Amino acid sequence: MATQIDPRGPRFGATITNVLSAIIFYEALDKNTESIGAALFGVAAALFLIGTVFGTSKHPFGWLFRTLVKPRLSAPKETEDSRPPQFAQAVGLFVSVVGLALYFAQVPYGLAIAAGALFLASALQAYVGFCLGCQMYLGLKRLGVFKG
Amino acid sequence: MTLDIKLALLAGLILLAGVIALIWKLKTGNAKKVSGDHVVDIAELAATKNGKPVTKLTTRVTFLQFSTDFCTFCPPTAKMLSTLEKSDPNVTHLEVNVTERLDLVKKYNILQTPTTLVLDQKGTIISRIGGTPKAHTLVTEIGNFDI
Repeated sequence: MATQIDPRGPRFGATITNVLSAIIFYEALDKNTESIGAALFGVAAALFLIGTVFGTSKHPFGWLFRTLVKPRLSAPKETEDSRPPQFAQAVGLFVSVVGLALYFAQVPYGLAIAAGALFLASALQAYVGFCLGCQMYLGLKRLGVFKG
Repeated sequence: MTLDIKLALLAGLILLAGVIALIWKLKTGNAKKVSGDHVVDIAELAATKNGKPVTKLTTRVTFLQFSTDFCTFCPPTAKMLSTLEKSDPNVTHLEVNVTERLDLVKKYNILQTPTTLVLDQKGTIISRIGGTPKAHTLVTEIGNFDI
Protein backbone atom coordinates (compact mmCIF):
# COMPACT_ATOMS: atom_id res chain seq x y z
CA MET A 1 0.00 0.00 0.00
CA ALA A 2 1.63 3.19 -1.14
CA THR A 3 0.64 6.37 0.65
CA GLN A 4 2.33 9.69 0.08
CA ILE A 5 4.07 11.42 2.96
CA ASP A 6 5.94 14.65 3.55
CA PRO A 7 9.64 13.74 3.00
CA ARG A 8 10.67 16.19 5.70
CA GLY A 9 9.03 13.91 8.30
CA PRO A 10 11.58 11.06 8.03
CA ARG A 11 14.41 13.58 7.86
CA PHE A 12 13.21 15.17 11.09
CA GLY A 13 13.00 11.72 12.68
CA ALA A 14 16.50 10.87 11.42
CA THR A 15 17.84 14.01 13.10
CA ILE A 16 16.57 12.81 16.49
CA THR A 17 17.88 9.29 15.78
CA ASN A 18 21.21 10.88 14.86
CA VAL A 19 21.54 12.69 18.19
CA LEU A 20 20.38 9.58 20.06
CA SER A 21 22.93 7.38 18.28
CA ALA A 22 25.72 9.88 19.07
CA ILE A 23 24.81 9.62 22.77
CA ILE A 24 24.70 5.80 22.58
CA PHE A 25 28.07 5.77 20.82
CA TYR A 26 29.60 7.98 23.50
CA GLU A 27 28.18 5.99 26.41
CA ALA A 28 29.14 2.68 24.79
CA LEU A 29 32.82 3.63 24.68
CA ASP A 30 33.15 3.33 28.44
CA LYS A 31 32.67 0.08 30.38
CA ASN A 32 31.04 2.05 33.23
CA THR A 33 28.41 3.67 31.07
CA GLU A 34 27.98 0.95 28.45
CA SER A 35 24.78 -0.29 30.09
CA ILE A 36 23.21 3.18 29.67
CA GLY A 37 24.09 2.98 25.97
CA ALA A 38 22.54 -0.49 25.75
CA ALA A 39 19.34 0.71 27.43
CA LEU A 40 19.09 3.64 25.00
CA PHE A 41 19.75 1.24 22.12
CA GLY A 42 16.81 -0.81 23.41
CA VAL A 43 14.66 2.34 23.19
CA ALA A 44 15.92 2.96 19.63
CA ALA A 45 15.12 -0.65 18.68
CA ALA A 46 11.59 -0.31 20.07
CA LEU A 47 11.09 2.90 18.05
CA PHE A 48 12.39 1.21 14.89
CA LEU A 49 10.00 -1.67 15.50
CA ILE A 50 7.06 0.76 15.61
CA GLY A 51 8.32 2.40 12.40
CA THR A 52 8.83 -0.95 10.67
CA VAL A 53 5.41 -2.34 11.54
CA PHE A 54 3.22 0.77 11.37
CA GLY A 55 5.20 3.13 9.11
CA THR A 56 6.99 6.37 9.88
CA SER A 57 3.81 8.44 10.20
CA LYS A 58 2.64 6.33 13.17
CA HIS A 59 6.11 6.57 14.71
CA PRO A 60 6.39 8.89 17.76
CA PHE A 61 8.87 11.09 15.85
CA GLY A 62 6.35 11.25 12.99
CA TRP A 63 3.73 12.38 15.47
CA LEU A 64 6.13 14.99 16.89
CA PHE A 65 6.79 16.23 13.35
CA ARG A 66 3.09 16.56 12.57
CA THR A 67 2.11 18.32 15.78
CA LEU A 68 5.16 20.49 16.47
CA VAL A 69 7.12 21.03 13.25
CA LYS A 70 4.81 20.75 10.27
CA PRO A 71 2.36 23.51 11.33
CA ARG A 72 5.32 25.90 11.24
CA LEU A 73 6.49 24.89 7.76
CA SER A 74 5.12 25.78 4.34
CA ALA A 75 3.35 23.07 2.35
CA PRO A 76 5.73 20.41 1.02
CA LYS A 77 7.02 20.96 -2.53
CA GLU A 78 6.73 17.27 -3.18
CA THR A 79 5.66 14.15 -1.37
CA GLU A 80 7.31 10.75 -1.29
CA ASP A 81 6.23 7.14 -1.15
CA SER A 82 5.91 5.91 2.43
CA ARG A 83 7.58 2.56 1.68
CA PRO A 84 11.26 3.58 1.36
CA PRO A 85 11.41 5.23 4.82
CA GLN A 86 9.51 2.30 6.28
CA PHE A 87 12.05 -0.07 4.78
CA ALA A 88 14.83 2.09 6.26
CA GLN A 89 13.20 1.66 9.67
CA ALA A 90 13.57 -2.10 9.23
CA VAL A 91 17.27 -1.64 8.46
CA GLY A 92 17.58 0.52 11.61
CA LEU A 93 15.86 -2.20 13.62
CA PHE A 94 18.29 -4.77 12.24
CA VAL A 95 21.31 -2.62 13.20
CA SER A 96 19.98 -2.07 16.75
CA VAL A 97 19.28 -5.78 17.24
CA VAL A 98 22.80 -6.62 16.04
CA GLY A 99 24.22 -3.96 18.40
CA LEU A 100 22.32 -5.35 21.38
CA ALA A 101 23.28 -8.92 20.48
CA LEU A 102 26.96 -7.89 20.40
CA TYR A 103 26.51 -6.18 23.77
CA PHE A 104 24.97 -9.23 25.41
CA ALA A 105 27.65 -11.45 23.83
CA GLN A 106 30.13 -9.06 25.49
CA VAL A 107 31.95 -8.34 22.25
CA PRO A 108 34.29 -5.41 23.04
CA TYR A 109 32.98 -2.18 21.47
CA GLY A 110 30.30 -4.10 19.56
CA LEU A 111 27.67 -1.71 20.85
CA ALA A 112 29.78 1.33 19.94
CA ILE A 113 30.37 0.06 16.39
CA ALA A 114 26.65 -0.59 15.82
CA ALA A 115 25.82 2.85 17.27
CA GLY A 116 28.47 4.38 14.98
CA ALA A 117 26.88 2.70 11.93
CA LEU A 118 23.47 4.00 13.00
CA PHE A 119 24.97 7.46 13.45
CA LEU A 120 26.42 7.49 9.92
CA ALA A 121 23.20 6.25 8.30
CA SER A 122 20.95 8.69 10.18
CA ALA A 123 23.36 11.59 9.56
CA LEU A 124 23.20 11.01 5.79
CA GLN A 125 19.41 10.80 5.90
CA ALA A 126 19.02 13.85 8.12
CA TYR A 127 21.49 16.25 6.53
CA VAL A 128 21.65 15.37 2.84
CA GLY A 129 18.46 13.32 2.42
CA PHE A 130 20.39 10.23 1.39
CA CYS A 131 18.45 7.18 2.55
CA LEU A 132 20.98 4.39 3.03
CA GLY A 133 18.29 1.84 3.88
CA CYS A 134 16.45 2.60 0.64
CA GLN A 135 19.69 2.42 -1.28
CA MET A 136 20.45 -1.00 0.16
CA TYR A 137 17.17 -2.44 -1.09
CA LEU A 138 18.45 -3.45 -4.54
CA GLY A 139 21.76 -4.69 -3.17
CA LEU A 140 20.09 -6.94 -0.62
CA LYS A 141 17.66 -8.19 -3.20
CA ARG A 142 20.49 -9.00 -5.61
CA LEU A 143 22.21 -10.97 -2.89
CA GLY A 144 18.95 -12.87 -2.45
CA VAL A 145 18.61 -11.79 1.19
CA PHE A 146 14.90 -11.39 0.68
CA LYS A 147 12.28 -11.63 -2.01
CA GLY A 148 10.65 -8.25 -2.63
CA MET B 1 38.53 5.11 28.35
CA THR B 2 39.47 8.69 29.12
CA LEU B 3 37.25 11.63 28.32
CA ASP B 4 39.71 12.93 25.72
CA ILE B 5 39.74 9.71 23.73
CA LYS B 6 35.96 9.40 23.88
CA LEU B 7 35.46 12.95 22.65
CA ALA B 8 38.07 12.44 19.93
CA LEU B 9 36.28 9.30 18.72
CA LEU B 10 32.93 11.11 18.71
CA ALA B 11 34.46 14.00 16.77
CA GLY B 12 36.01 11.49 14.34
CA LEU B 13 32.64 9.86 13.78
CA ILE B 14 30.99 13.21 13.06
CA LEU B 15 33.82 14.11 10.69
CA LEU B 16 33.48 10.75 8.91
CA ALA B 17 29.75 11.38 8.38
CA GLY B 18 30.58 14.80 6.96
CA VAL B 19 33.18 13.39 4.57
CA ILE B 20 30.85 10.62 3.35
CA ALA B 21 28.04 13.15 2.83
CA LEU B 22 30.36 15.47 0.90
CA ILE B 23 31.74 12.70 -1.34
CA TRP B 24 28.22 11.49 -2.04
CA LYS B 25 27.03 15.02 -2.89
CA LEU B 26 29.95 15.49 -5.29
CA LYS B 27 29.64 12.10 -6.99
CA THR B 28 25.89 11.65 -7.27
CA GLY B 29 24.18 12.71 -10.47
CA ASN B 30 27.31 12.86 -12.61
CA ALA B 31 27.51 11.10 -15.96
CA LYS B 32 30.04 8.39 -16.66
CA LYS B 33 30.95 7.59 -20.27
CA VAL B 34 30.19 4.02 -21.30
CA SER B 35 32.64 2.68 -23.87
CA GLY B 36 32.05 -0.28 -26.15
CA ASP B 37 28.89 -0.86 -28.12
CA HIS B 38 26.36 -1.88 -25.50
CA VAL B 39 22.96 -1.75 -27.11
CA VAL B 40 19.84 -1.90 -24.94
CA ASP B 41 17.23 -4.46 -25.96
CA ILE B 42 14.22 -2.13 -25.97
CA ALA B 43 11.56 -4.86 -26.15
CA GLU B 44 13.04 -6.64 -23.13
CA LEU B 45 12.49 -3.54 -20.97
CA ALA B 46 8.72 -3.86 -21.44
CA ALA B 47 8.55 -0.11 -20.95
CA THR B 48 5.34 1.76 -21.60
CA LYS B 49 4.80 5.33 -22.68
CA ASN B 50 1.36 6.92 -22.36
CA GLY B 51 -0.06 3.43 -21.82
CA LYS B 52 1.47 1.98 -24.99
CA PRO B 53 4.38 -0.48 -25.08
CA VAL B 54 7.64 1.02 -26.33
CA THR B 55 9.26 -1.07 -29.09
CA LYS B 56 11.70 1.38 -30.62
CA LEU B 57 13.37 4.67 -29.88
CA THR B 58 12.06 7.64 -31.82
CA THR B 59 14.25 10.52 -30.70
CA ARG B 60 17.96 11.28 -30.95
CA VAL B 61 18.41 11.09 -27.18
CA THR B 62 16.65 8.81 -24.68
CA PHE B 63 17.01 8.96 -20.93
CA LEU B 64 16.23 5.48 -19.66
CA GLN B 65 15.57 5.70 -15.94
CA PHE B 66 15.56 2.61 -13.71
CA SER B 67 13.51 2.99 -10.53
CA THR B 68 12.22 0.88 -7.66
CA ASP B 69 9.33 1.22 -5.23
CA PHE B 70 11.79 1.86 -2.41
CA CYS B 71 13.51 4.84 -3.93
CA THR B 72 13.35 8.33 -2.49
CA PHE B 73 14.89 10.18 -5.42
CA CYS B 74 13.12 8.33 -8.26
CA PRO B 75 9.91 10.42 -8.45
CA PRO B 76 11.75 13.78 -8.46
CA THR B 77 14.15 12.42 -11.11
CA ALA B 78 11.23 11.26 -13.26
CA LYS B 79 9.66 14.70 -12.93
CA MET B 80 12.91 16.39 -13.95
CA LEU B 81 13.42 14.14 -17.01
CA SER B 82 9.82 14.37 -18.21
CA THR B 83 10.00 18.17 -17.97
CA LEU B 84 13.11 17.97 -20.16
CA GLU B 85 11.27 15.72 -22.60
CA LYS B 86 8.46 18.26 -22.93
CA SER B 87 10.83 21.14 -23.58
CA ASP B 88 13.15 19.35 -26.04
CA PRO B 89 11.71 17.45 -29.03
CA ASN B 90 14.96 15.45 -29.37
CA VAL B 91 14.56 13.89 -25.94
CA THR B 92 12.51 10.96 -24.67
CA HIS B 93 12.21 9.88 -21.06
CA LEU B 94 11.54 6.20 -20.34
CA GLU B 95 11.09 4.89 -16.82
CA VAL B 96 11.31 1.20 -15.96
CA ASN B 97 10.41 -0.08 -12.50
CA VAL B 98 12.93 -2.81 -11.68
CA THR B 99 11.57 -3.74 -8.24
CA GLU B 100 10.48 -7.09 -9.70
CA ARG B 101 12.95 -7.16 -12.61
CA LEU B 102 16.06 -8.71 -11.14
CA ASP B 103 17.04 -9.79 -14.67
CA LEU B 104 17.45 -6.15 -15.70
CA VAL B 105 19.14 -5.24 -12.41
CA LYS B 106 21.79 -7.89 -13.10
CA LYS B 107 22.11 -7.24 -16.82
CA TYR B 108 22.69 -3.51 -16.44
CA ASN B 109 24.52 -3.87 -13.12
CA ILE B 110 22.20 -1.46 -11.32
CA LEU B 111 23.60 -0.80 -7.86
CA GLN B 112 21.40 2.14 -6.98
CA THR B 113 18.19 3.76 -8.09
CA PRO B 114 17.62 5.98 -9.84
CA THR B 115 20.18 4.92 -12.43
CA THR B 116 19.71 6.66 -15.77
CA LEU B 117 21.22 5.45 -19.04
CA VAL B 118 21.70 7.94 -21.84
CA LEU B 119 20.90 6.21 -25.14
CA ASP B 120 21.24 7.24 -28.76
CA GLN B 121 18.49 6.43 -31.24
CA LYS B 122 19.88 2.93 -31.88
CA GLY B 123 19.78 2.21 -28.17
CA THR B 124 23.55 2.34 -27.70
CA ILE B 125 24.46 3.28 -24.13
CA ILE B 126 26.41 6.55 -24.30
CA SER B 127 26.70 7.18 -20.59
CA ARG B 128 25.32 6.33 -17.22
CA ILE B 129 24.09 8.60 -14.41
CA GLY B 130 23.83 7.24 -10.87
CA GLY B 131 21.50 9.11 -8.51
CA THR B 132 19.47 12.25 -9.18
CA PRO B 133 21.05 13.78 -12.30
CA LYS B 134 22.53 17.23 -11.83
CA ALA B 135 20.92 19.78 -14.15
CA HIS B 136 24.22 20.65 -15.85
CA THR B 137 24.94 16.92 -16.38
CA LEU B 138 21.81 16.63 -18.50
CA VAL B 139 22.64 19.76 -20.49
CA THR B 140 26.14 18.44 -21.21
CA GLU B 141 24.83 15.00 -22.18
CA ILE B 142 22.37 16.45 -24.70
CA GLY B 143 25.07 18.83 -25.92
CA ASN B 144 27.34 15.87 -26.73
CA PHE B 145 24.86 14.76 -29.39
CA ASP B 146 25.54 17.77 -31.66
CA ILE B 147 21.88 18.32 -32.31
